[in-house]
Amino acid sequence: MPMPKWAIIGRNQYRLVMSSVRFIRPYFMPLIIALLAIYIVYLAPAIVDAFVDDVLAFFLSQAAVALIQILLFAVFIWFFFFPVSLALKDIQAGQLESLLSAPVSPSQLLLGEFIGVMPFYGIAVVLLAGIFTAILGPIGIGIVQNFIIIAVFLLTFFSALWIGTVIAALLRSKLGQSEKGRDIGKALGFIIALPVVGIMYAMMGGGFLEALQNPGTSGAITGILGILPSSWGARIIIDFTSNPDVISMDTLARFGGILLFFASSMWLGFKVAERAYTLETGGLSASTAGRDGVLYNTIRSLGGGGAFGTLLVSITKDYGRRLQNLSRVAYIVGLVVLINLFLVRPGEPLEAMILAQALFAMLAAFVVGEVTIRGKEALFIYRKAPDGENRLIKARLVQGWMITVPICVIIIAVQLLLIPDVSIVELLGFTGAIAVVSSAYVVFSLGIFLTIPAFSDKGGEFVAIAMIVVFFAMFLFLGSLILLGKEWALPILLSVSWAVGILLLFLGRWNLGRIE
Amino acid sequence: MKVITHTENLSKHYGKGGEIKAVDQVNLDIYEGETFGLLGPNGAGKTTTIRLLNCIIKPTSGSATVNGHSIIDDPDSVKRVTGLLAESPGLYDKLSAYEFLEFMAALYDVPGDIIPERISNLLKLFSLEDRRDHLLEGYSRGMKQKVLIAAALIHDPPMLFLDEPTSTLDPRAALMVKDLIHELAGQAKKTIFISSHILPIVEELCDRIGIINQGRLIALGTVDEIISQTGKANLEEAFIDLTGGIETRELLAWRDQKIADA
Repeated sequence: MPMPKWAIIGRNQYRLVMSSVRFIRPYFMPLIIALLAIYIVYLAPAIVDAFVDDVLAFFLSQAAVALIQILLFAVFIWFFFFPVSLALKDIQAGQLESLLSAPVSPSQLLLGEFIGVMPFYGIAVVLLAGIFTAILGPIGIGIVQNFIIIAVFLLTFFSALWIGTVIAALLRSKLGQSEKGRDIGKALGFIIALPVVGIMYAMMGGGFLEALQNPGTSGAITGILGILPSSWGARIIIDFTSNPDVISMDTLARFGGILLFFASSMWLGFKVAERAYTLETGGLSASTAGRDGVLYNTIRSLGGGGAFGTLLVSITKDYGRRLQNLSRVAYIVGLVVLINLFLVRPGEPLEAMILAQALFAMLAAFVVGEVTIRGKEALFIYRKAPDGENRLIKARLVQGWMITVPICVIIIAVQLLLIPDVSIVELLGFTGAIAVVSSAYVVFSLGIFLTIPAFSDKGGEFVAIAMIVVFFAMFLFLGSLILLGKEWALPILLSVSWAVGILLLFLGRWNLGRIE
Repeated sequence: MKVITHTENLSKHYGKGGEIKAVDQVNLDIYEGETFGLLGPNGAGKTTTIRLLNCIIKPTSGSATVNGHSIIDDPDSVKRVTGLLAESPGLYDKLSAYEFLEFMAALYDVPGDIIPERISNLLKLFSLEDRRDHLLEGYSRGMKQKVLIAAALIHDPPMLFLDEPTSTLDPRAALMVKDLIHELAGQAKKTIFISSHILPIVEELCDRIGIINQGRLIALGTVDEIISQTGKANLEEAFIDLTGGIETRELLAWRDQKIADA
């Protein structure tokens, strides 16, 4: 009997994921299964044994209700977002044509893709389920209850993975057929991380902790969590810890709900599979550029109105029309908002300043780091033109300042205005200082990106270089603060960041001429 | 001669109200064993036609049959009798040539016991047997194209669709692909449907050609027939004449103006 098509596609998907460790591929799954068995039988119980009293005390406390909900919710969200974000980062629709020309139905493609990655996510599920069953063992939970807990984990997380896989496939088919679509995909790939970061920050410093401390008072959070199946699963586990021998009607109803959620999401996924695996959409319509408005004319004037002004406008247009670039700026602004909402204590401007320094440096890196990302050929256009490389650097500097400095100044001004007693002098002084520092970060970032060019945004090179900029900014700011105190930190930061920035820019200019 | 592919007012429209006519009322017969070339400028509807005939997309109106199977009512049977080399196919770069062909064979229901031999024969035919276990990411463009053609042949279909088979290849690789197509048509007796905008390829390889422009099939016949229909000296001129090329003089008019002003 021939292998079902979904199994063939699943096997292929598994092979692709395992291609980097091909030499252990035949032994990988047996090895993992053996290791997981050791973990479940020996390791997890041993870990739990070491802390058994504390663990039991915790499970019988009110905080467990919220914590288990949050834990399952976090894993649920991760299982949902990960395939989507992975698909968005590098949307490829090329293979779709070969697959669609074969006698395979969209449902088989979808199921195969899901089955192919399931073992890897399954490892995470087993690790989590293993520790829970080990923890609940000493409470006296029976085999049926244990079976239900494992089923809860599998059904809940694989529902999330399934939904994520379906959405990823839908986005890929819609966005993968045009350059514009791929740009939207990359932009979404960045922005989609914000809610997850928000949840993380909230867990670190926001209402989730309140929910842990006093579950009764955090109605909104438990309400939001309550609508997701992860919470139904959490309630089942909590119920078992309170009454290990009993399977109540509530538990059965919740388990039924999880089963129903899984079945409905599978059914819905198969229903939309036709739309997820198709070349019918024909991509997105091509965009057209309008005539230059006030903004571009002003930028042209700022650039002197001549050839340099036109160059500046062209660079700004190319930057601004890529949603990926705008999403990076939006991501930084979003991070600032989230940090201020959840992590910074009210009335602590220094905390806000330290965190903002890192984000301002990241913003500068994201804005000017684009200089080499279109590859060497794009740089050679400037090399070919008379004095082209110097003009490129000047234009990139001005463009970087135009975007980075106003955003940083507005953010810091808003932060300062939220402090009740801030004076006008302090407001102007701080915002002025931030304007100078952020413009230095632009110089520094451009220098770094020309010295160590990232010729593509794939492979993490771009982000790694951006992180160098961030670490430099943090190191400089915290170093000045610790060594010289509050009074000298800012002047040192201003002068050193500019000095290093200029030095690196010269180094970058030299390296730019050597790129071949 | 037996008609292997027949289209009747085949149309594919996109956009609101179907204002973009990617393929518009195409009527075409392809005969068994012939090599047919569909010529047209970029965006003329060549790839859409191929996708329609391979059941990758559905027609807005009209119908077609391939080897007696309807593309609307019996898509799976159509897929089993056709092989497709797509214009810009995504290869699974992290698979070896053998693994990729094994995957494609399984998708096309090639019986498991004959898959190894089939792959081995194809790899030999394409001189790739020494590199069967190398990952595709390390292959040159020409070698990748060979693997893709092998994949299109893995289920031994009577009809092969090649969408722009040489457009991204260097001259040496393009020559190699041309030779392969010759052999497939001559020795393996395959019916081959090539779409291209490279005139010499089509002129050299095809028994008959069709010219498509803005979704409509505007000429059909042998190369000589099309040249004589238009009264031009060669296929290039006939193609420009049929598809409405812009006169060079018109394009360079600004230079004359500049000289006159000076």
